[in-house]
Amino acid sequence: MTDKLIDDMRLALDKKEVTSGELFNEAILKAKKYQNDYNSFVTILDKKEEVQSETILSGIPYALKDNISTKGLLTTASSNILKDYIPLYDATVYEKLKKAGAVLMGKTVLDELAMGGTGTTGHTGIVRNPWNKERMIGGSSAGSAAAVALGIVPFAIGSDTGDSIRKPAGYGGVVGYKPTYGRVSRYGLFAFASSLDHVGVFARSVRDVSYVMDIIKGHDDKDMTSLPDDNIKYSDVLDRDIRGKKLFYIKEALENYSGSTEFEEIINNFKDTLEKCKKLGIEVEEVSFRKDLLEAMYPSYMCISCAEATSNNSNLTGIPFGTRIEGKNVDDIMMKTRTNGFSELIKRRFVLGSYILQKENQDKLFLNAGRVRRLIVNEMNKLFETYDGLIMPNAPSIAPFFDDASDRLSDEYLILGNHLVIGNFGGYPSITIPSGFVKGMPVSINITGRVKEDDFVLNMANKIEEVLGYKGQVSTNE
Amino acid sequence: MITKDTLEKLAKKLMFEMNDDEYKTLEDEFKIILKQMDFIDNIKDIDDVEAMTYPFDLELDDSNMREDIPCNEISFDDMVINVKDYEDNRVKVPKVVE
Repeated sequence: MTDKLIDDMRLALDKKEVTSGELFNEAILKAKKYQNDYNSFVTILDKKEEVQSETILSGIPYALKDNISTKGLLTTASSNILKDYIPLYDATVYEKLKKAGAVLMGKTVLDELAMGGTGTTGHTGIVRNPWNKERMIGGSSAGSAAAVALGIVPFAIGSDTGDSIRKPAGYGGVVGYKPTYGRVSRYGLFAFASSLDHVGVFARSVRDVSYVMDIIKGHDDKDMTSLPDDNIKYSDVLDRDIRGKKLFYIKEALENYSGSTEFEEIINNFKDTLEKCKKLGIEVEEVSFRKDLLEAMYPSYMCISCAEATSNNSNLTGIPFGTRIEGKNVDDIMMKTRTNGFSELIKRRFVLGSYILQKENQDKLFLNAGRVRRLIVNEMNKLFETYDGLIMPNAPSIAPFFDDASDRLSDEYLILGNHLVIGNFGGYPSITIPSGFVKGMPVSINITGRVKEDDFVLNMANKIEEVLGYKGQVSTNE
Repeated sequence: MITKDTLEKLAKKLMFEMNDDEYKTLEDEFKIILKQMDFIDNIKDIDDVEAMTYPFDLELDDSNMREDIPCNEISFDDMVINVKDYEDNRVKVPKVVE
């Protein structure tokens, strides 16, 4: 039952064909069954929270990424330095779901401190792709994506700083949604890069994403970057007429540098999707984007995110909290704690962040990256004067084999591999939905809309999802 | 050109150590990073642009500013959940003055 859509579970619960206790038990049994092979979870709960509530989500089990604070419940950010950390308060997103009666069943594995895109750097081991165990699911919200793709839970919460919800959603054949910046409170989310961090949702349909968004969105006094609520119930507007709406795609991102057949097949899948969009009455046009800006996009993201992360994580010293290693004085304790607490990748990213923030590099790197960010967002906003949204293939490849990809920086630069960061630069609502298969692995498209138009993006995605035919998809490997 | 010496100084400022293999990986990575950073340098019309620090102008009106009333008070029992050691109502921390 936990591999069904929320409407099916709601109906079964309301007709008393199943109880929320049975759904919780099913979710944790499945989670335990798949844990050895896929490693989606840091913590699988053994006791169900009892909250009486009557919402669409009451009694429905779900999972939270392990960088979201849960009072009294281990929250590690998949890092050794926080492997025993127990938060003192609840994140707003967790508080809202709890109040709505949704039932937390586990905390999911991420790339350490959410800084990675492979799902391979968490302190409890690598997360495997439910469609093929030899391939990665991508990250950083790796466990949340895998748990939904495996049918353990109908939805899971993740965070997205560069593409950390949408990339693993694409590789895992599920829906991944990053809302407008500020639409969902970040209170209680462990900060990676505060100006780019978003809390968002994985599910198996756009409708299910909307049900969850209706519960978790809204203004929060505890997050001063939180937006006033738009007072729109997204699940009520999914069927609005979208005929005559205009989408664009970026010509330069679709160029095949490598000549790979896989890339070609992905582009063909995308073109098929565009044809289906046109049949829905959506206008789609190819648009040229400044290539110098597209090429500077990923390096700018690295500058901003690593610099912010270096600063945000400077509190991980082992002194006020964290896994302290004793030493002869405070400096010695911090040195030993941080040396042992962070993996090599995290140290490399912090060194890069520190380099970028050095006085002599600040203007050339950090500030120029912020300037590139503004130029890209300005270009996008200009395009959004003509078009209602951007539609793109989600990624230039299917989920890579573990041997083929790493978090080491590569000099092979693919615009299509990094375009999702535009959504974080501008805070745009952005959704990834499955669009088919290449070489037996799921591929997806992404739709990004104007800031604060979450309702439109979900409406558009729902209409396109209907004609693509992958709604409710779970991995067929198991 | 980045040297191991520079990287070691940065790591020391960040309060961690790295081994020789890790520095080698980092040195190789920096060569790629600095090459990629050239893409930022290639953009000509950048000097007069104000660096963007948030996705859009935040609406810092009354709805974003709460009243200055204490909230989120944490009880002592909750506060010491992650504390290594405490005595009475005081937290013991490592000695900071030698």
